[in-house]
Amino acid sequence: MRSLVRAASSAFSVSVRLRVISPWAYLNWFVFPLLFAAVGLYVLSRPGASGSHLVYGLLGGGLIGYWSVAYIDGGNGIQDERWNGTLEQIFGTPTPLFVIVLGKVCGGLLFGLLAFIPTAALAYFGFNAVFPNLDAWRFVISLGVLTLTFFCIALTLTPLFALWRWAFSMINGFELGVYVLCGFMFPIAVLTPWLQGFAAVLAPTWAVKALYASTLAEGPHDFVAWWLLAGALSLAYMVAAYFLYMLVEREARVSGQLALA
Amino acid sequence: MRRLAAEVGVFGRSTYLQYVALFQWASIRGYIAYKVLLPVTQILFFVELGVYASGRQNALYFALGNAMQLTANAGIFGVIATVANERQYGTLPILLASPANRAVTFLSRAFVNVIDGILTVAVGLGIAVVLFGLDLHHANFPLLAFCVVLISLTTAGLGLMFGSIGLVMRDAIIIANVVYYVLLIVCGINFPVSRLPGVIQLVSYSLPLTRGVQAARDAAAGASFGHVAGLMAGELLVGALWALGGYLLFRLLESWARRGGLQEAY
Repeated sequence: MRSLVRAASSAFSVSVRLRVISPWAYLNWFVFPLLFAAVGLYVLSRPGASGSHLVYGLLGGGLIGYWSVAYIDGGNGIQDERWNGTLEQIFGTPTPLFVIVLGKVCGGLLFGLLAFIPTAALAYFGFNAVFPNLDAWRFVISLGVLTLTFFCIALTLTPLFALWRWAFSMINGFELGVYVLCGFMFPIAVLTPWLQGFAAVLAPTWAVKALYASTLAEGPHDFVAWWLLAGALSLAYMVAAYFLYMLVEREARVSGQLALA
Repeated sequence: MRRLAAEVGVFGRSTYLQYVALFQWASIRGYIAYKVLLPVTQILFFVELGVYASGRQNALYFALGNAMQLTANAGIFGVIATVANERQYGTLPILLASPANRAVTFLSRAFVNVIDGILTVAVGLGIAVVLFGLDLHHANFPLLAFCVVLISLTTAGLGLMFGSIGLVMRDAIIIANVVYYVLLIVCGINFPVSRLPGVIQLVSYSLPLTRGVQAARDAAAGASFGHVAGLMAGELLVGALWALGGYLLFRLLESWARRGGLQEAY
């Protein structure tokens, strides 16, 4: 067990160090969320807009950045190794692939969390946006649940992107669709009912709902139900991930075709 | 006359080759991902954001602005990627060693992207009209179509400028990402330019899209050509200046890259 923790922490350390020198990492956690936050804050702070709108601008940019890092950096955990020519070495080690990917995803999530700093600073200094009714404990728990959902999705996407390269293109193309369905910058209640149906099967939707509810006085506050739903959906993703990792192992070790996928 | 025919031949071959070799999305899955899903979800996101902020009666404002901005998907991403990919695939030194007319090969980088930009807007706008039930009964369609063509050309002019940087920069596509999303803020796509600080308004009017999007909104409201002629002339001038600047930078960086051997430095 100690050796697995050591392997995961080494993967975490290396992934963080690589991100520190990667211009792409800065694009994802700093530039990209800041640009989205700027658009969101300008649109949501139209003259006569309610104060609750600004909360969506305040947190929305950070959520977008957090998600981008989670699915791009975390999800490409195996793909990066393939591009760098280190995939075979990783499969040659006795440590399970899952443990190495786990360390890398945690490194990505740490960087993703940084996205809230520039966007919150822009919202506060540029638009005087603050949380009108912050419930600090529920906010922290909701952010933790959101992190869990992103962690599970990144772990699930990693083998998916490795097995089918076109899967990344599709999810990359659908990136703004995820912002819509998960309610990153506006509540999903404004969507048509059939879109809300799709949104309901995404774990982050419930965690984001709880996150915003913890900053606002109005609207429903069913925190426990939302946290449980987010957790249950994340668990379902992990079940899917289990089979995908088995498939990756088979492609890499039995057929030796993963590098050719 | 023979020389002109030869240059047209170079332009045609260069356009065809960069299309078949450098368009990464040119597969059914790539097309669906980047030319259907991305435009539709971009419009969906910003229209729903705008509807939440200001009510459903303003959906057309957001849909039209973002549909026009989609030209930058091809004009910025596409054009920058074609130069950056030459470098990444190792064909840039061969291109730079050829005796072909630089202006012709340079402009051919943009041609397919301009056509692609027009198609992207048509797809995006068509889907937005259906999804949000937008009312375009009063629209001056020929003028709106002209605006789409014009904006596709001018954003490609800006793309040529930043594409030139790809001659000496490894991750030029990062610039494409930044420029694409900066245009969303400064060009009056989702809110009026007048809400920006004064200095940034100057930047807005020195970029393509700002006047073109305004002209397209006027055309959608039924304006005549005469009404928007000034905006369109300004848009054309701005786009031409960016393309000219891009060409001059291309020549400058080509010489620099050649002297420093930087074409291969990736």
